[in-house]
Amino acid sequence: MTDPKLAKTAEAEAIERAKQGDEAAFEVLYNLHKRRVYSLCLRMVSNPAQAEDLAQEAFLQLFRKVGTFRGESAFSTWLHRMTVNVVLMNLRKKGLPVVSLEETIETDEESPKKELGGPDLKLAGSLDRLQLQRAIEKLPPGYKTIFVLHDVEGFEHNEIATMVGCSIGNSKSQLHKARLKLRDYLKFMRAEKAEKQ
Amino acid sequence: MESMQHTAIVGLVVVACLASAATAETRREYRYPVGPKASVTVDTEYGSISVKPGTTREVVVVALIHSDKAKIDISQEGNRLEFESHLLPGADEQTGRVDYEVTVPPDTTLNLHSSNGPISAERIQADVAVEGATAPVEIRSVGHGHVHVKTMKGTITLSDVRSAHVEITSISGDVHLNSVSGPLVQVNSGSGRIYYDGDFGSGGDYNFSTHTGDIEALIASGASADFTAHSMQGHVQSDVPLKPKENNRFPVEVGRSFFGTVGKAASEVILKSFSGKIRLKQR
Amino acid sequence: MTCSEVQRVLPEMMDGAPNNELQAHLEKCPACSDLVAELELISIEAHQLVESNEPSPRVWLAIAAELRSEGLIRDPEAKPGRPVLVPTERRRWNAWWLVPVAAALLVAASYVGMRKPATQIAEKPAVVAPANAPDLAAQSNQQKPAPQVAETKRPVPIDRSLDEPSVSAPVQVVSTEDRQFLDDVGQRSPRMKAEFESQLRAVNSYIRDAEAYLKQNPGDEDARQHVMAAYEQKAMLYQMALNHIQ
Repeated sequence: MTDPKLAKTAEAEAIERAKQGDEAAFEVLYNLHKRRVYSLCLRMVSNPAQAEDLAQEAFLQLFRKVGTFRGESAFSTWLHRMTVNVVLMNLRKKGLPVVSLEETIETDEESPKKELGGPDLKLAGSLDRLQLQRAIEKLPPGYKTIFVLHDVEGFEHNEIATMVGCSIGNSKSQLHKARLKLRDYLKFMRAEKAEKQ
Repeated sequence: MESMQHTAIVGLVVVACLASAATAETRREYRYPVGPKASVTVDTEYGSISVKPGTTREVVVVALIHSDKAKIDISQEGNRLEFESHLLPGADEQTGRVDYEVTVPPDTTLNLHSSNGPISAERIQADVAVEGATAPVEIRSVGHGHVHVKTMKGTITLSDVRSAHVEITSISGDVHLNSVSGPLVQVNSGSGRIYYDGDFGSGGDYNFSTHTGDIEALIASGASADFTAHSMQGHVQSDVPLKPKENNRFPVEVGRSFFGTVGKAASEVILKSFSGKIRLKQR
Repeated sequence: MTCSEVQRVLPEMMDGAPNNELQAHLEKCPACSDLVAELELISIEAHQLVESNEPSPRVWLAIAAELRSEGLIRDPEAKPGRPVLVPTERRRWNAWWLVPVAAALLVAASYVGMRKPATQIAEKPAVVAPANAPDLAAQSNQQKPAPQVAETKRPVPIDRSLDEPSVSAPVQVVSTEDRQFLDDVGQRSPRMKAEFESQLRAVNSYIRDAEAYLKQNPGDEDARQHVMAAYEQKAMLYQMALNHIQ
């Protein structure tokens, strides 16, 4: 595993060389962050080709401004925010809801629902990542945005509220509903798999 | 005859198509919903910027990109939108030009920059900051916020700007203030002339200063202000009868300074020039 | 706390500070406890997905091609060209020295402006019309100061010979910073250099006039304010150049 301090030094050097127009330096920066950027785009739009276009645009916008980067914040933070903005703008342009308009929790039960009959399909231990990715893809766009930004990318609710233009309460509510839906999807997938086996 | 006319029309159409293909002008429209008190920044090296208020909570930007030597970067973070033109190698003032027509909710804060402009904004009730090098700037019917304008030599015209904190700096551009009033109206000019036509109202502080530019103020009847005017080397004259003041900041030099009040002296007006002329007139 | 109350507060409580009431209910209610555990598991596992996908090689190729076309990538052996406008040149010009210079100008102006006046207000200088400003000279001759104003005035010889050079003459650059400022602007755009040069000339003229006057009349408040105003204009010019270069 790369020493984080060494990685930071390499990144700082690459930034300085990129300011001078060094192609190799740009490529270093791209390789350092391409997985994170692309993964975020893919999770938000669920279409690999479109995700690649968005990742390309995010890197281009960042590289155009690399001359003004002064190192006051982490380069990755800068890139991260820029990627989110590119994706959100793309969603808005397409008229897709960035955040669900629902404000209140729908369910009003005494205990959690058990949609599936048969054996108890508790989620425990670790989850099948492929199943989790598929489940995330199935989420409605508004839930998906909040879930990806918070649970996958690690943004706080106040940051999400600013980026997507909703209230902190709405962000928390959407996140909870997204998790509940994912729980349902994952249990269903497990049940399907169990039946096949 | 008819066939000749027909040929001529076809020829004109072909030429027009070729011309537009050669310039490769592109018109792009962008729409963004925003919440209250949004902020819009438009930054273009070359091109005009015109901002007007709309009736919906939407920012609409129509950009005319004059050639493929210019591109637009857009970023949005919540309620903050930024449009920035950037130029490709080989671009010049013509090919690098991007003109913007912007419609915003009236409570939108504006930051506008263009080297050659022109730049205009009207009927906005929020802060407006404008910077242009040679760009003429016109701001109309704006109020209840800060209005900051800076130019090198672009002419600056403010009309019907009320209850605003106004700060203007121009090195050689003329400054025209028509019905401008507020808690602070400050103009710092070099060789540009300052023209004021209004009532110096709102009980504010008005401070006009030039190097060699002349200052001319036309006041409405009913104005209420305390005037101090001084030019170190230029001629100073008041056509308005002023009530004398007891305490002056410096000794009276006839032809170089005048002091006095009109009405109840609600506002303070300081007009000073290094070597420009100063004249106070009554409308 | 009931299960439905748990459902209601979970969105707020899940990632927040521990809540004793909620904790007590979870210890007694397996269904709610399982729910919370599963939601937490989803959250933890989701974070592992953060770098799980890799874009195809075409993405970098497209980025590199675009950077080249915009001039952001250049060959190390190639001499930097001097196109009319090279917006990407801004990435290579480190003009941040302009920031402290602009700040220094304002500090200098403040220092000059805040120097204590002489204990007695100095007498006003005589009005000396500049050599090449006939309008002002004509007016000053017509409007001589009234006799009751203090008679003794120190003349302020203002040498304007450096202010308005002929079109072909080089600008009178008064400092290294001004020269570097114009060179940097010129690299970015020769047309704007001429404009900045002209404005710099005007601003320097203002500074010289105001400082000369203040030097002769240290107690003159107006002169002090003119010095401040002149330096503010110069700082604005530097800031505009900085914005232009970047």
